[in-house]
Amino acid sequence: MRSKSAGDYVLDTSIYLMLTLMGVITLLPFANVLSKAVSEEWAIVSGKVGIFPVGFQLDTMKFVVTSSQFLQALWISVLVAVIGTLLSLLLTALTAYPLSKRQLPGIGVIIVLFIFTMMFNGGIIPNYLLIRELGLIDSLGALIYPALISVFNLLVIKSYFETLPESLEESAKLEGAGNLTILFRIILPLSGPVLATIGLFYAVYFWNDYFNPLLYINSTDLRPLPLYLQDIVMNANASSALDRTADQLMNVPAEGVRSATVIASTVPILLVYPYLQKYFIKGVLIGSVKG
Amino acid sequence: MASGTKAANTKVADIKVKRNRWKLFRSNLDMYLLLVPGLAFLLLFKYTPMYGIIIAFQEFNIFTGLSGSEWVGLEQFNKLLHSEEFLQVLINTLLISLYKIVILFPLPIFIALILNEVRRMFFKRAIQTVIYLPHFLSWVIISGLFLNILSPSGGIVNEIIRSFGGAPISFMTDSDMFRSVVVFTAGWKESGWSAIVFIAAIAGIEQEQYEAAAIDGAGRIRQMFSISLPGMLPIIVLMFILRIGNLLEAGTEQILTMYNPLVYATGDVIGTFVYRMGLGQQDYSFSTAVGLFNSLVGFLLIILGNTLSRKFLQRSIW
Repeated sequence: MRSKSAGDYVLDTSIYLMLTLMGVITLLPFANVLSKAVSEEWAIVSGKVGIFPVGFQLDTMKFVVTSSQFLQALWISVLVAVIGTLLSLLLTALTAYPLSKRQLPGIGVIIVLFIFTMMFNGGIIPNYLLIRELGLIDSLGALIYPALISVFNLLVIKSYFETLPESLEESAKLEGAGNLTILFRIILPLSGPVLATIGLFYAVYFWNDYFNPLLYINSTDLRPLPLYLQDIVMNANASSALDRTADQLMNVPAEGVRSATVIASTVPILLVYPYLQKYFIKGVLIGSVKG
Repeated sequence: MASGTKAANTKVADIKVKRNRWKLFRSNLDMYLLLVPGLAFLLLFKYTPMYGIIIAFQEFNIFTGLSGSEWVGLEQFNKLLHSEEFLQVLINTLLISLYKIVILFPLPIFIALILNEVRRMFFKRAIQTVIYLPHFLSWVIISGLFLNILSPSGGIVNEIIRSFGGAPISFMTDSDMFRSVVVFTAGWKESGWSAIVFIAAIAGIEQEQYEAAAIDGAGRIRQMFSISLPGMLPIIVLMFILRIGNLLEAGTEQILTMYNPLVYATGDVIGTFVYRMGLGQQDYSFSTAVGLFNSLVGFLLIILGNTLSRKFLQRSIW
């Protein structure tokens, strides 16, 4: 092994510096807003809060996470993410299985029908009118049904099914098993990792979905977390979005509340981040190889 | 004679194939049954809205519906072509998109290149974990973060500017600044995550190539440019083609969560314009026409991209 030259040292140092700088730039906004969420209002307003809290307090955080509207929005988000993910995963896997049998007549055409929708769609307004026509405005169905199958996810699962050895199914068929039995008894149990990956794809999609709630949800009780956060952050007047009496509001700082709401909305993703990172990397790589 | 037999043979083969296909279909009815819910979804939520596009050729009245609305032919498109507002929106979309491509497309490639040079696994993992994180947060959260730190009253960025004696900048309400904010925050959120495919591409390069180059006296920078970069080239070209296919998507969700009427002049893009016209002003037919224009151009760009990909990479996008 050759020893490092002076040039190598310069290169290494500058690479480590650049990457560290990128990491710091990524973390600074979080550090600043977190500090604001746990600082005294006077310090926030006078611009004294940097990356460390000034006058540490947890009252604002407590106020935000115990507010009934925050908890309601959290509940709606959990509900949509859990039901949406389970239904999507089921429907996507059920649809992907027949599509992985290209030798069957008609399957090729159906695959094209699915892929076409990746390239061309009706657009916002026709979608809105459809949801309206179906009577789904202001219902959680509007957030779940239109997103039940992501064609990208469908193709990833289909490609995975295609890699499973044909022999597995043939021996089961000889014993008289139908296609449904094969799918549920043999194929799906062998597909744990890919289903977990796609399940997380769906979960993050439903959890972060902002556009559909913006279009379809008017009732404050049905707002998921992103819509609630938007109302708080965008509303200069925090009082309209918070469910406390004017008296309590006097003691609750608007800037601090906004910061604390941003932080509280970030925490759920942070809690599952290690899993997300691991499975998403896998998913992206499957997608880019097979997609 | 020979050709006659051949024709007869193909005919027999044809019948056989047809019979086989029928048999395959009959013996796999349960398989087709499995497809029913997925096809119902496809028809209702994907193809019905495509049919709904016909309102772009009507003066749609929400009370009389699709069948009761007046047909106006291409009038909505005529309006679109003569709308100065739309022209500005189109310019905004193209400018933001181009800035994003020129500035943000090379960034993940660069990140992958320099991450590949890091030998300390702990450091590498830590940096990756940090720079991938913003990808998983919704735009609402990211916009909330940046509205906060860029605020002219008490935002940390303006405090720093002030401490150097500068005048505070209203990043989010100044139409001259808004596009820069959009491009910067998009890079902040996705550059790290977008590096993943390039990192994987570098990992696929054989180690022997680097060893051979080292023996030939190539330094590490030379290796980055002569081995790593060419090794990533097919993926770079593919990603670039996919990116061009999305040219008219300048970041609708991002801008919706960030903008306000003060920056419409520079920040309103096709996606947000369709939303404002359609759901805000309930001009359903006009905004559907704008949406259709958007979908059609997008479609053409993807087809073009796929043709290019086949030609240069011998590989179809789908």
